[in-house]
Amino acid sequence: MPRQTIETSSRSGGKDVGTLIVASLFIGLGLITLHDVTTYSDTDSVVFPTFVAYAMIFCSVLVIIASWLRPSRDNGFGNGDWWRRLLLVATMLVACAIMPVGGFLPATAIAFAGGLIAARHEGWDARSAVVFSASGIAIMAGFYALFRFALGVPLP
Amino acid sequence: MGFEHLANALTLTNLALALFGVVAGTIIGSIPGLSATMAVAVLVPITFAMPPASALILLGAIYTGAIYGGAYSAILLNTPGTPSAIGTTFDGYPMAKRGDGDLAVAIACYASVFGGMIGALALLLLAPPLSSVALAFGPVEYLWLSIFGLSLIASLSTGNLLKGLAGGAFGLLLSCVGVAEISADIRLTFGSSTMIGGIEVVGALIGLYCIPVLIDLVATPERHLKVEEGGRAVRFREGALLAWRSRFNLLRSSIIGTVIGILPGAGGSVAGLVAYSEAKRTAKPGQKFGEGEPDGIMATEAANNATVGGGFIPTLVLGIPGTPPDAVILGALLVQGVRTGPTLFDSGGSIVYTFIFGLFIATILMLPTGLLIGRYAYKTIVTIPKTILVPSVGFMTIIGTFAIRNSISDVIIMIVLGTVGWVLSRFGFAASPIVLGLILGPIAEQGFVQAWIIGEATGNLTGMFFGRPISLAIIAFTVLSLVYPVIQGRRAKKLLEMQAGSNAKTDD
Repeated sequence: MPRQTIETSSRSGGKDVGTLIVASLFIGLGLITLHDVTTYSDTDSVVFPTFVAYAMIFCSVLVIIASWLRPSRDNGFGNGDWWRRLLLVATMLVACAIMPVGGFLPATAIAFAGGLIAARHEGWDARSAVVFSASGIAIMAGFYALFRFALGVPLP
Repeated sequence: MGFEHLANALTLTNLALALFGVVAGTIIGSIPGLSATMAVAVLVPITFAMPPASALILLGAIYTGAIYGGAYSAILLNTPGTPSAIGTTFDGYPMAKRGDGDLAVAIACYASVFGGMIGALALLLLAPPLSSVALAFGPVEYLWLSIFGLSLIASLSTGNLLKGLAGGAFGLLLSCVGVAEISADIRLTFGSSTMIGGIEVVGALIGLYCIPVLIDLVATPERHLKVEEGGRAVRFREGALLAWRSRFNLLRSSIIGTVIGILPGAGGSVAGLVAYSEAKRTAKPGQKFGEGEPDGIMATEAANNATVGGGFIPTLVLGIPGTPPDAVILGALLVQGVRTGPTLFDSGGSIVYTFIFGLFIATILMLPTGLLIGRYAYKTIVTIPKTILVPSVGFMTIIGTFAIRNSISDVIIMIVLGTVGWVLSRFGFAASPIVLGLILGPIAEQGFVQAWIIGEATGNLTGMFFGRPISLAIIAFTVLSLVYPVIQGRRAKKLLEMQAGSNAKTDD
């Protein structure tokens, strides 16, 4: 698979757009919380999230002002292969989706395979494929046995 | 207490149990997701057939070993094996990244042993008087204690205080998700059944600390940790020297850990964070906390292991568990027919003192076993190829998070939160303030609401929040911890300016 190294940055015209977006999302989350608390039946449940929501909105507004006035040059996603990052996270989430029907080991085998492919930068040959697959099976079986039988965790 | 209790603790069976407990606890504690509570809970059934003193020694050894074991993954993988080791990641992982992971592991071991000894000493000598401290803490004191913990955000967000505060608020908000503890309202789930159980703290910790590391590791071909040439062993002597130089930090952190361990529900994570905050507040010039400062590891590890002895004080004297693993141990004692309470030290003194000496022995045994296991843990993590390390750690995060509540929802939340944490960290919103908010949020909310209700009922709301001596002491300490670094910084700046001025005059 060809390596796709992408330099990704959130800076646009000297502004730290990424920070602005994150802080705006925090403000949005605060507003959603303030709406959500109106549906609670007990005032004891309302006070704390309301206070926290206002605090988050206030801090995020200050973050936006500070970031607008003095944008940070260091922020951004940096170098690296996006497909590897996405493969790692996607296979872990797919494993969670499959787990209830497919069982724990088959589901986590998908996540393990995704992690193996994502982390291998040196390329694959028959020997490395066999060695790493065998190691993976041994590690998964070992931990599965530890949790399922020794610790009594009811793994699906 | 007498010589016969020490002799009882030193029987071959009790020594073997202490050794087994420490080794098993260390290994279980080092696996992300398996907390000290789980380590104790899992091994409780094997103690039912034992004499009560031996059972207590085994459980105490597992507990102390598990608290220490959490440091391995905190240092080598940036994933706290147990919540108590959160503070260990702040400086442990940066040390490992620059090639000093072996030194960090040794320091953690020395500090854990020192903290464990101080906690056990307090249990031996001061249990009845210190247990009254736990009774003096009401809801409002817990509120102020949690706010004191939150003040750590200021020191964890160097150069980015606003983002730290926003992150802390985000963490506090995450702690509100699910069923409200006091009124049982369902909050911030937006109709999702996945969110109804709330955000499990250990799973969230694994996600926020471990997933970003994995995402960064796969993206580039660089090695995961810097490897020093020459295949060094763990640096025992260098670590001992550093620990000796920081003996005051160790003592202070151990006392903090013991006192916080006494407070029911606070636990090793709060103790470690408060001790870290104090170590940072009193840092010498040139010490860079958060960038691989050994004193940061020492403070956290000494404090979290001191909570073991401290937590047993209210457990044994009052029958109130000081920490979550103590609650499990209390249950095991009830099964054994041992009734805890103020009379235990008189009627069951033999069991208690044999156990306390057993705890001392287990803590001492932690030194050789901890350094030995640490050596192999370090070598394994450093030499294992990234290709197999990443999927193995990913697999452990899934199985470890699932095991906490047998819930797939927790695993999904862990992965999503970890990915969000990675994005946030890329824009200067560090994970630590979010974690602080998540951990301290429930303590703060419960303390606030209960204090408010009591204050309203008694018609003295202001007095409830600001009129109690312990509360005032904690408030003063919080203000001091926020203001002192600013004063210290200005004083250092002034000194530098004066020095520069006198140098300029000399040159003229």
